[in-house]
Amino acid sequence: MGRITFERSLYSPEAVEAAAAAYAEYAEITLERSGDAVVAVVGAVTGGDRRTVESSFCNFALQETVVRMRRAAASEEE
Amino acid sequence: MALGEHESRSEGPESRLGFSLGPDHASFDVDETVYPLDAIYGGCYLFVDRCYVFLTRSGPRLVNVRLTSREPATAAELDALAGEFVNELLSQATRLRLSQATARIREYYTAAALRAAASAPSVDDLLAELDAEELGDDPLEIAVPWEEKAGDKGTDPK
Repeated sequence: MGRITFERSLYSPEAVEAAAAAYAEYAEITLERSGDAVVAVVGAVTGGDRRTVESSFCNFALQETVVRMRRAAASEEE
Repeated sequence: MALGEHESRSEGPESRLGFSLGPDHASFDVDETVYPLDAIYGGCYLFVDRCYVFLTRSGPRLVNVRLTSREPATAAELDALAGEFVNELLSQATRLRLSQATARIREYYTAAALRAAASAPSVDDLLAELDAEELGDDPLEIAVPWEEKAGDKGTDPK
């Protein structure tokens, strides 16, 4: 079981939630929210090897964070 | 070690460029006072297709970037990957600063273009203008056929 800590100052919690939802079919992912971080607990992995699934899940969370932040910045400018 | 935990500095092969190298990853700290978070995000966004990218905080204004190769990679390859990332970081930071520095002038030009577009006559205005013109006047007799203008002088000498 892997624990992945996403710091709120770097990852949007909504983006991590979106990533967890997107990877639900590949792994059992539960999210634990704390003050300055969201911890993803990755349980049984069903689609592919653990390293690939966990790393891809992290990439997805980062990509979602960037997209959401840029979208928010663009809507602020309008 | 779980992702998100901080790692010790030297953990594997030597990096020519000063990065921290592991068996399948390279990591390094980025100072946010030099490279803003937006620039770091910009670099990450471009690299998620090439490798696995993970960010952690290693200090109050420090972001630790960890690049993990998708396939087995040598120390030199990891070094090159991280080197390209930091080059991209520099490019992103420069773009960001230029964009901020020229924001006012871009706003001015956009506003000027919009003002010009708003004051430009519409097709209806142009048609109305044509209708209003006095087309009956023909001081140069452009509408008069050549035969009428030339009279007898215009006849064929044969």
